Amino acid sequence: MAISKENYNVLSDIVGPEYISDDPVICEGYRSGPGGYENGLGYERVMTKIPGCVIMPSCTEEVQKIVKLCYRHNIPYVPYSTGFYGPRSHPHVEDALLIDLKRMNDFILDEKHFYVEVGPGMVYSPIQEECMSHGAYVVIGGGGAQASAIANLIGDGWSPLSHRIGLPHRRILGTEVVMPDGEILRMGSLAQGGDDAFWGESPGPDLRGLLRGYTGLRGCLGIVTRMAIKTLPFQPERLEPTGITPNTALALPEKRVKWINFVVPSKEAQVKAMKEIGHAEIGGAVTKVPLFWRAIAKSTCKEDFWDIWGKENEETVANFHIVRVLLIGFTSEEQMEYDERVLMDIMEEVGGVARRTKPSDESWIKNADSAGMWLMCGGYVSVDYVIETMSQAPEHGPVYADLKKKYTPPLMPDYGDPGWFQSFEMGHQGYSEFLVYWDLDDDTNAVDQFYVDTSKMNIENRFYTSLLGPHQPLYLTGPKYGPNYHEYLLKVKDEFDPKWMSHPPVPLSHDIFVDRAPWMENMKDWESPEDLEKRGYKS
Amino acid sequence: MDVKEKLSQVVGTDAFFDDPATLQAYATDYSYTPAGAPNYIVKPGDSEQISQVIKFCNENCIPVVPCSSKVHFYGATIPKEGGVIMDLEKMNNILEIDPDNRRVRFETGVTWEKLTQELKKEGYRVIMPLTPPAQRSALTDFMEREEPTNQVYDYGEPLAAMEVVWPTGEIFRMGSASVNGYPKSHSKGGNPSGPGLDFYRFFQCAQGTMGVVTWTNLKIESIPQIDKVLFAPITDLDYATDFLYRILPRRIGQEVLLLNNVDLAAIIAKDSGNFEKLKASLPPWTLILVVSGLKRRPEEKIAYEENFLAQVIKNEFSDMKLTESLPGFPGLGGKILQILREPWPADKPHWRNQVKGACQMLSFHTRPLHAKRLVAMVEDIASRHDYPIRDIGLYIQPIEHNRACKPEFTFFYDPDNAEEKAAIRALYKEAAVALINEGAVFTRPYGDLAPIVYERATSYASHLKRLKKTFDPNNIMNPGNLCF
Repeated sequence: MAISKENYNVLSDIVGPEYISDDPVICEGYRSGPGGYENGLGYERVMTKIPGCVIMPSCTEEVQKIVKLCYRHNIPYVPYSTGFYGPRSHPHVEDALLIDLKRMNDFILDEKHFYVEVGPGMVYSPIQEECMSHGAYVVIGGGGAQASAIANLIGDGWSPLSHRIGLPHRRILGTEVVMPDGEILRMGSLAQGGDDAFWGESPGPDLRGLLRGYTGLRGCLGIVTRMAIKTLPFQPERLEPTGITPNTALALPEKRVKWINFVVPSKEAQVKAMKEIGHAEIGGAVTKVPLFWRAIAKSTCKEDFWDIWGKENEETVANFHIVRVLLIGFTSEEQMEYDERVLMDIMEEVGGVARRTKPSDESWIKNADSAGMWLMCGGYVSVDYVIETMSQAPEHGPVYADLKKKYTPPLMPDYGDPGWFQSFEMGHQGYSEFLVYWDLDDDTNAVDQFYVDTSKMNIENRFYTSLLGPHQPLYLTGPKYGPNYHEYLLKVKDEFDPKWMSHPPVPLSHDIFVDRAPWMENMKDWESPEDLEKRGYKS
Repeated sequence: MDVKEKLSQVVGTDAFFDDPATLQAYATDYSYTPAGAPNYIVKPGDSEQISQVIKFCNENCIPVVPCSSKVHFYGATIPKEGGVIMDLEKMNNILEIDPDNRRVRFETGVTWEKLTQELKKEGYRVIMPLTPPAQRSALTDFMEREEPTNQVYDYGEPLAAMEVVWPTGEIFRMGSASVNGYPKSHSKGGNPSGPGLDFYRFFQCAQGTMGVVTWTNLKIESIPQIDKVLFAPITDLDYATDFLYRILPRRIGQEVLLLNNVDLAAIIAKDSGNFEKLKASLPPWTLILVVSGLKRRPEEKIAYEENFLAQVIKNEFSDMKLTESLPGFPGLGGKILQILREPWPADKPHWRNQVKGACQMLSFHTRPLHAKRLVAMVEDIASRHDYPIRDIGLYIQPIEHNRACKPEFTFFYDPDNAEEKAAIRALYKEAAVALINEGAVFTRPYGDLAPIVYERATSYASHLKRLKKTFDPNNIMNPGNLCF
C-alpha cells in the first residue's frame, strides 16, 4: 500500500516539505545499484525495491515521530545512512519509507576522555582527521572512510588496525536507539537520564546486545540516532596528506609511525610471526592481504590490473608470503625503537626479510578505501570476514579457495589466493576475510549459489562465520549455530517489533530470496516454515 | 513427582540438600541484605543436569538462584522468593589452557585460587580485579564486570565465547563456541559475539537473572619477566588525576591504582593493631604503578617506560615523587605485587572484612576529573551520618587509559551491631542518590541500589523487562533482583 496523502502530509510536517519526497526521480536515486556491494547479484535483483518515499529527519525527536507514525499506520521503513552495504541496506518491500539519516551528522570530540559522539550521518573521514589532530585514532572499516561510523559499528567495524582492539562492540559507548515501535532506548551512561554518553555499560544486563550480533542486523531492530564511540590513544605527530586524488596518501613521521613489509619463507612462518608479534604485545597492525590487492595498488585502470595479475599463476600465489607490520610509537620514539628491535628478533627467527616499504599509508589509517575492489570486474563482495582465533584464521581461506574453484567462472580467477588473515587483539584473536569478484555481464546465478554454499562449507567444517543472522538463510544457519540461535533472534524481533515494520523482512530476507529465486531451488536442502513470506512482513 | 524427588533424581541424592542447617548457610552473606533461605539446594555436576533442573523449575514456576562462589558481598544470591539454590561449586574444571591463542576455558565453579595457580604453572595469568577472594568464582567476577587493575590492553573485556543454559532449560553456546561440535572444531571460542545477537551481553551484570553460565573462554596473558612497582604519595587527588591523564594514554604500566590510607592499610596490615598504625602513618593517597618487562627484551621495555616517566615528571609534574619504595615503608613493592597478582588467601579474612567484620561498598563510574569532587561529596554525607571520614576506605581504579575511573568507597561496620548496620544502610542510600544526581554511573545495581537506579532509568528498565520476559516467561531466574 502506497503511503497515503494524509500520512505524507504528517511526515512532511515533521521534517518540513524540503526533506521529504515521493518523486519517482528522487526515489530512483535510492535504488540499490551500480558501484555497490553485492552489485548485480540475485539478492539485489529479487529482494530490493525502490522506496515509495524518502524522508530526511534532522534529530532523534523527528525520527521518533516518523517511526511512531509508521508503526501506527503499518508503513514499513528502512533506516539508511551511507548505504555502503549494498542491497541489504535498501528497502525489500514495495512502498517502504526510506529514512535517510545523513542530516544527523552531529559530531563532538572529547579529547581527554577518548571518545567521539556522532549522529548516524557522520562519516569516518572527518572523524579520523579530528581524532588524529587530537592524539587519537579510530579503526576505519573496510567500507571506506565515507561510510557512516554508526552503521559501520553496528554492522562490521574492523580493519588491520584491529590488532589492538578487534571487536567493534567494545568501542560502542553511550547509545540512543529509536526502537521499532518508536520508543527511545538509551544505553550506557545515557540510560540513567543524563546527557553524558562517555560510558558504555548500563545498569544490569547490557542491552547493547540488541544492536548487533557478530555482524549486524541491517536496521531490523530500530534506528541508532546517537552513539559515543571510543577512540584509541595515538601518537602526537601529524600524518601529512600528500598526493593528488586518486593517488593520495598520508606521509608518516618515520620515528613514530612506520609500515614494514616482510617476505617470509612459508605460510607457517607467516602465522608464527603474527602470533609472536601478538604475544610480544608490540605493533599497531599486523596483516597479510590477498596478493591481488598488490596488483590493484599498482594499477591505474582495469587493463593495468589484468596485465599485472595475468603474470601470476597458482605457483607464484602459493609461494608468496608477506607479513605487513605497522609500528606506532604510542609512548615515545624510544618505544617504537623497542618495538622494532623485538620485531626484527621475531623476523630473524622465522626467516623474514624486510623489504623497502613506502614511508606512507595509502589506505588503512585514513581511507580504508575499498573502491579499488570494483576495479577488476565490477562486482565484489567480501564473502566472509570473521574474527575467531589464529587457529581458525589461516585455515579458513584455503577451504574457501577450494570451494571457489567450483564456481570459477563466473568468479574471477585468483589462482587459489586464500584471502586475508591476521591477528587481532594482540594475537588472542585471528581474523580471516575472503573476497570474490565477478563480471556483471556474466550469468551470476552461480555467485548466489556459491554464497549459500559457503554457509554449508562453514557448517560442515565447523568454522565460525560472519554469515549469520540476515546474511544467509536463517533457517540454514540457525539450527547449526548455538544451536537454534534463530529462534532466540526471532523471539527478540517479535518482542520489540511485533508488526515487523523495521526493514521487513530482515532477518528472514535471505530465506525468502532463496524461496523466490528459481536458480536457488537446488541449493535448498534445509527445512523452513511454509509461511516465511507472511511471517517476514505482517502488514 | 514431587520437587525433592525430581531434583534428587536429576543431580543425585548426594548433591541435593534440604536440611535446615544447609539451607540457612545460603540465607545470608557479607552484605546487609535481609536473610532469605531457599527451599532446596542442588549441586549439579554438568550442563545437562543444570538444564534438567531449570527445565523442571520453569515448568513448575519454582525460582532458581544460581550461586557459584563461597564469598558474596552484595546479597545477589540470597533468595528473595525461596526456591532452589543452584550451587555450581562442582563445576570446577579448567577445561583447556590454550597457550597458542592465550585462552583458557573453565567452568563457573572454578575459583580464583585454582585458576591463577593452574595458569601460573604454564607461565600465564589473567588480568584480575583487586584482591578477589580465593574461593570466589572467577567467572562470576568477569560476568559482573569487576574492573581489573590492569588497564593497558585496548581490548579491555577479557571474556570470550561461553555456554549458557536459558531460563527455559535449553543449552546454548555463544559467539564462536556456537559452531556445531565445539570444541572439536576449527573455531576455538575466541569471539564472544553473536550468533545473531550479542546474547552474551544480556548475561553481563545479570546476577543470574538471565540464565546460568556454565563455562567461558577467557583471555590470558604471559607473566611478565620483570616487574617494578612504583609508588607515589599523593596529597592532592586532582594532581594525581592529571598525572594519570598524561601518562596512561601513552600506554604506560600494567597495574595502576590509587588507594587511600585506610584501604592500603587494611590491605597490607597483619592485624587490627597494625592496621591503625599503618592508617595513621600512610599518606592520604598512594599511587601504585607497576611497569613490567614482557616476553621479549624485558629490560628494554622497562627502560623506555621509565625514561618516559622521568621526562614527564621532570618537565611537567615535578611534585610527583614516583619511586620504587613508599617513604617509610621499605619492602612494600614485593608485597604489593603479590597482592595485585594473586587472589586474597582463603585462610585469612578478606581485608574488607578484617577491619570490623563486614563492610558496605559503593562504586560507580565517572570521569577522573570528577573524582575529587564526588569523593568530597560522599565524605560530607558520611560525616552527617556520623561515619568518621578518617575511616572511609577509598580505591580509585583508572580505566581505559584513564578516560574513565571507578571510585569505590568502603564503609566498614560491625555486622553484630544492628544500629551501626542500619546507619550504614542509610548512609549508603543517601550517598547513592547524591552521586547519581551528580552523574555517577551505576552499572551494578545490587539490593537497595536497584530501585534508586532503575527509577531514573525507566526506559532502560522497561526494555530490560521485555527482554527478560522473552527469555524467562515465568521469571524463575533469581527473582527479586535488579528490576525483575
